[in-house]
Amino acid sequence: MSGMKRTGIIAITFFALVLLLVATGCTQQSGTSASTPAATTTPATGANTVGILYTAGVGPMPQLLATQQIDGYIAWQPYVSIATKSGIGKLVVYSGQLPPDESNVNHPCCILFARDDLIAENPDLVTAISALTQVSSAYINAHPAEAADLEADFLVGRSNFTFGNVSVSSVDVLNDAFPTVRYTNDPSPQWVNDTKRFVNTEIQLGYVNNQLKNASSDQLDSLLFDFGPYQNAKQELAAGTITTPHTEANPITIGYLTGDMHSAALSIALKKYQYFNDTYGVALVPRDPTQARPDTADLVVNGVKVAEVKLVSGSAGPQVMQMAATNVVQIGYVGVPPTIAAIDKGTPVKVINPINTEGSGLVVSPDAPVTDWNSFVAWAQQRAAEGKPLKIAAPGKGSIQDVLIQFALKSSNVSFATISS
Amino acid sequence: MTLSVEHLTKEYAKNGQERVQALVNISLAIRDEEFVCVLGPSGCGKTTLLRVIAGLERPTSGRVQIDGTVIEGPNQKLGMIFQDYSLYPWRTVNENIAFGLELNDVPREKRAKIVKKYLDLAELSGFGNSYPHELSGGMRQRVAVVRALAVEPSVLLMDEPFGALDAQTRNMLQHELLDIWQKTKKTILFVTHSVDEAVYLADRVVVLTPRPGHICEVIPIDQPRPRDRTSVEFARVRRHVLDLISQKCSLP
Amino acid sequence: MTLPHAAFRIYDRRSLLKFVLPVAIIAGWELLAIWINNPFILPRLEAVAAVLLAPTADILGNGSLAANAATSLERVLAGFFVAAAIAIPLGIGMGRSGTLHELFDTLMQLLRPIPPLAWVPLALAWFKIGLLSMVFIIGMGAFFPILLNTLDGVKGVKRNWIETAEILGAKEHQILSRVILPGALPTIWTGLRVGFGIAWMCVVAAEMMPGTNSGLGYLIISAYNWGQVPVIIAGMIVIGIIGIGFDILFKAVERRSFGWRGLER
Repeated sequence: MSGMKRTGIIAITFFALVLLLVATGCTQQSGTSASTPAATTTPATGANTVGILYTAGVGPMPQLLATQQIDGYIAWQPYVSIATKSGIGKLVVYSGQLPPDESNVNHPCCILFARDDLIAENPDLVTAISALTQVSSAYINAHPAEAADLEADFLVGRSNFTFGNVSVSSVDVLNDAFPTVRYTNDPSPQWVNDTKRFVNTEIQLGYVNNQLKNASSDQLDSLLFDFGPYQNAKQELAAGTITTPHTEANPITIGYLTGDMHSAALSIALKKYQYFNDTYGVALVPRDPTQARPDTADLVVNGVKVAEVKLVSGSAGPQVMQMAATNVVQIGYVGVPPTIAAIDKGTPVKVINPINTEGSGLVVSPDAPVTDWNSFVAWAQQRAAEGKPLKIAAPGKGSIQDVLIQFALKSSNVSFATISS
Repeated sequence: MTLSVEHLTKEYAKNGQERVQALVNISLAIRDEEFVCVLGPSGCGKTTLLRVIAGLERPTSGRVQIDGTVIEGPNQKLGMIFQDYSLYPWRTVNENIAFGLELNDVPREKRAKIVKKYLDLAELSGFGNSYPHELSGGMRQRVAVVRALAVEPSVLLMDEPFGALDAQTRNMLQHELLDIWQKTKKTILFVTHSVDEAVYLADRVVVLTPRPGHICEVIPIDQPRPRDRTSVEFARVRRHVLDLISQKCSLP
Repeated sequence: MTLPHAAFRIYDRRSLLKFVLPVAIIAGWELLAIWINNPFILPRLEAVAAVLLAPTADILGNGSLAANAATSLERVLAGFFVAAAIAIPLGIGMGRSGTLHELFDTLMQLLRPIPPLAWVPLALAWFKIGLLSMVFIIGMGAFFPILLNTLDGVKGVKRNWIETAEILGAKEHQILSRVILPGALPTIWTGLRVGFGIAWMCVVAAEMMPGTNSGLGYLIISAYNWGQVPVIIAGMIVIGIIGIGFDILFKAVERRSFGWRGLER
């Protein structure tokens, strides 16, 4: 009898605890209060002009647009060209022309980062990667058509995108997309300032609230950037020889974003490995060159196999940064905001150099009464008045596109809220 | 072969509190080649007695000896046939019979010969490659018996082996068991609650009281075999035993 | 006997029922697809068939359907065998030894409800990218059904079977190999079948997470990224076919080897 009684008491205590947990959970604010924009959030759907929907990555966006589940999306190339070339959507504006006026021209986009421990342990390797990135970017700028073709191969094996009755050649899409991306590696003072402004933006949006929050401008320089390898690479390239790094016993993993052509420097490096090896003495040689998208390669500098390199993609910046934080990835090609957010949280990485600026765009459904940003704003307000606020998709909380669209809307006095699914 | 049970007492702990006495002060001497039946109502401890003799359980006090050695665990001199036969359903008849031989590393050819011998003894030639679930209850019983016999024990302990069978099969198997017993000259200790069965089979019938079981009476049966159930003498002995059970041996 | 008669004799009426729904779904699909006329919502049958009928053709630069299926299979088999290699002996040990059972039981009960996919971030962090992290995740999925069924099977081995063996002279290792293992095998086999099914689900889902470059799950995500819905559906069909294929295999062995189950008295 006493055995049963004891069991009964334990059971009751357990359930009481569970009820307590549920009760406290319900009384707290749902969601993460720190990460929604403070200024313009209003829970009532009717009061907002635009809803921002986060899809994990840009993949679902064309589909969502085509099935009218969203009214438009802001994404990195080539997803803008995919929409316009296939007829699923039409262009509103490229990211460089988003308001606030002029402030987004040459806006920072993606960067090359490396983990602190790798930079310390093998600085020549990071230098070599930066050098390869630089020469690859130069090649792209010099041979855009060839780069478009190779990138189409890397991204999708040059296959067609078939959206129902519409079929577009991936090569055509990339040809359309390349001119809209600026491949540049120079961390100019302007670029550095724009990047640091992003930090402020993110603080305002609540995505940054740790060690970067109260950092001074100088402190930010040392927390975010390490341009040493970039400068060394530039000098070595000018001098004509890259220093051979010491060999790594373990494989290095490079992370990049799925379907994002901003890291074209990486893809072209892998495709034109022979050229880069012969011309500059640094190359990423795929183990299986017949693979459209190699997943394993060797970093060869001056004929020496320096490291085995694994290549892995994440669907959005935060995922790549998560892998960097757990040392699954040591080097990466991602957007600036996720990198800032990660450094803020203590991920031990540094920005080595930019890999591109601009290169994103806003598209809407083909039958929208929109030709540019202003007509887009008008449309948004009209729809809100009808009680059917626009739904615009962005690739992820804290991504470049998310930050850009939020500030553009804010500067045009359009209220918005993030939609949680 | 000598098998002696000396002042055997067996108690159980129930729910960690009470102690239940199953058997009290059982003493019994079993002679070589004897057929002894242990008779009693359900719950009188007769199965427990068999299990202790088999070495599957330890006595609380007292002991069992076979050929001068105290029994402290399962012993190959004592074979046991359970109430449900416990044939291994994943093994064929041949493989079941061979089981004990395999355990003792008997080489394959010798094993095959022994298995054939006992298969024939059980009159199951032709069913060697069948599986237990393909056999009738009576056939399974025979397999259980020869499986135990294959390792040549001196004593066979049988726990109500015919309990689940119909009367006709039962009678037939009793007859066959006696046949095998006479051919193999084993000592058999047979537990049953059927008076009729005990009188038909046994040289001696040991009657246990209800729990806690102790020996109430040991009745020798001198009739020659095969015994005729319809004879007057059979009926007389049966009546005597029945009376004992309902009167003198009906109280613990 | 005329041909139709013979056909009817051969195919039991009831077993034809199995095909009714699939055929109806295929027919309904095509009609619905034509009516909806939006390939994002429901692509036409031909589009999906085109993908399925070209299993060796490269898809979106990810390799072929067949190659990715092979990769996923490789992973699931590796994880499955590792899980079985640990779960079966542990289950037998826990079933036979009260001490072992007490030792491991709490830990098992704590770990069991955790969905295998929750392990992905940790697995990636500990084992980095590669087969090992996959094996870990898949192993976690297959482990518990195998363990619990093994435990169940061992506990279900009749006491009399064990005692018969003891009386016939068996030592502990012989009891384990000749009584416990064969006696528990049907239940263990069920555990393996269920475990495999879960492992198969895990591998596909795990491949959808960052850190993989190949496999059916990855193929599906890649197709999702590029809006190629027919590929997604084709991938799903392949996943289903492989899953059912293995289930049939397991059940066939069950029928052949464990026909005695439930028939013993």
